[in-house]
Amino acid sequence: MLKNNNFIERSIMGALSFLKESVFADEYALRKGLLQSLDPRIKAATFLLFIIQAILIKDILILLCLYALCLSLACLSKINLGFFLKRTWIFIPLFSLFIAIPALFSVFTPGETLAVIDLLGFKLIITRQGFFGALLFVTRVITSVSFAVLLSITTKHFELLKALRIFKVPQIFVMILGMCYRYIYLFMEIIENTYTAIKSRVGLEVHYKRGQRIVALNIAFLWYRSYRLNEEVYNAMLSRGYDGEPVILHDFKTSAKDWLWLFFVIILFMGLTYLGAKARV
Amino acid sequence: MANTIFELKDVHFSYLGKYPALRGIDIKIEKGQKIAVIGANGSGKSTLLHMLDGLIFPERGSITAFGSALNEDIFNDKVFSKDFRKKVGLVFQNPDVQLFCPTVKDDIIFGPLQLGIEEQEIEKRLERLLAILNIKDLVNRPPHQLSIGEKRKVAIASTLIIEPEVLILDEPTAGLDPLTTRHIIDLLIEENISGRTIITSTHDLHIVEEISDTVYVFSHNKQIVKSGEPDSILKDAALLQANNLVHIHSHRHKDKIHIHSHIHLDHHAEG
Ligand SMILES: Nc1ncnc2c1ncn2[C@@H]1O[C@H](COP(=O)(O)OP(=O)(O)OP(=O)(O)O)[C@@H](O)[C@H]1O
Ligand SMILES: [Mg+2]
Repeated sequence: MLKNNNFIERSIMGALSFLKESVFADEYALRKGLLQSLDPRIKAATFLLFIIQAILIKDILILLCLYALCLSLACLSKINLGFFLKRTWIFIPLFSLFIAIPALFSVFTPGETLAVIDLLGFKLIITRQGFFGALLFVTRVITSVSFAVLLSITTKHFELLKALRIFKVPQIFVMILGMCYRYIYLFMEIIENTYTAIKSRVGLEVHYKRGQRIVALNIAFLWYRSYRLNEEVYNAMLSRGYDGEPVILHDFKTSAKDWLWLFFVIILFMGLTYLGAKARV
Repeated sequence: MANTIFELKDVHFSYLGKYPALRGIDIKIEKGQKIAVIGANGSGKSTLLHMLDGLIFPERGSITAFGSALNEDIFNDKVFSKDFRKKVGLVFQNPDVQLFCPTVKDDIIFGPLQLGIEEQEIEKRLERLLAILNIKDLVNRPPHQLSIGEKRKVAIASTLIIEPEVLILDEPTAGLDPLTTRHIIDLLIEENISGRTIITSTHDLHIVEEISDTVYVFSHNKQIVKSGEPDSILKDAALLQANNLVHIHSHRHKDKIHIHSHIHLDHHAEG
């Protein structure tokens, strides 16, 4: 029974710390590297270009170059490569399970036979086109995911939110996004604290079933708590003059470095588009 | 009277219609006064302060502020509500509630930005408050990752920056270290000398004398049992004890146990 209890605990705490680490780590955004020094607006715009490029390119070699560029940018921004790879490759199984693996086989992608898998009498034929298609797909996903993750971990969360305003994302939407972010954090803190509080009161040897019940009870309570908190936070906003239209300060400053970077990315973008077009001919 | 800021007459309020929180409150607050509200947990202090800040409204009885009756309708008038929010500022008891922006700086300047105060002026006030409260190195941190005391300082800054005529503070010194408490009280006294009205709820009897010229004592049944000058209230040991404001202190002297109520007024953190 103790083993089960430990399992609950380990999975709850593990999930929490993973979430906290991946969504809320400001640590990388505070390091002094290449990407951290760029203006968030320009950075967001250029990364959008990179991601568009990653989606459009049909040539796997060019795509791999783009991926390599992304990894070197990560290094230049003082990001631990192992950490970065772990963070990004975690998305791959999810995507591949649903799209890439079925596409491997002849049923979905007809073509030359590359390998045959004999599964309980069913012959599954992996085709050449299917294989390269899947490879291209995986590379494309990993490249775009990597750029998205790189942007988010080298930019302070609130700067990213502010940058969104530049792309004409409505203010109230950005505000809500910011609040959500805060709430998820608060929510996790409450879960964590409640869990520790239960442990300190009930002791370590919570019976597995009982542990489950406590967790379930607390989830209901949690919603109530966060509902009340929400109402109170709204009051606190009213108290300081909020009347439905938030005013946000814009204090971004661009430097020569930002424009140089933008110039570089645009040249690269055009170059890749040209190469992509030539490769297709 | 032109100098009356708040006037409450027989105010009743309950949460969700079934949890009473105020039962017949009469209070009159004049401009420039220092008011302290003391009482046991759950006696209705925070509820009263929220009502003074125009966040909740009486179920029965009436509240007027600056000569106009407060109710939900009047706050739909943008001109009135903006004016009221500029004049009255509340520091919430729970700093977690008050801090909702991504960084400390965003949070502090939230109020003045909403109220349309000029950016240069905001920067000036910000610098001053950061220095006074000694929170300069917190400005770029997310408020939800601060310690409780740090959060409270930021919450106080975010209200003070509005420079309201009436400052309402719900347990402003709870969880603060003695020196910071001292700074906050000095700051409040300074604000009061420059003409602001300050209304504070607290459990900390040390500070009552300094931050008030009138004290209201709330009882367990959500009414005001006594009001008066801090001196006379703090001397009334029976009253304080009946309202959970002092604890019975016992200590041992050579096998003899002395029991007496204990107010902690003597070791005043001065300087
Ligand atoms: N959101 C709420 N829903 C229901 N009841 C509430 C709510 N807030 C307060 N109450 C009740 O109203 C009464 C007065 O609460 P209030 O918060 O004003 O007390 P307080 O004097 O500020 O206490 P404390 O010293 O603990 O801060 C309490 O009995 C409390 O249970
Ligand atoms: Mg209270």
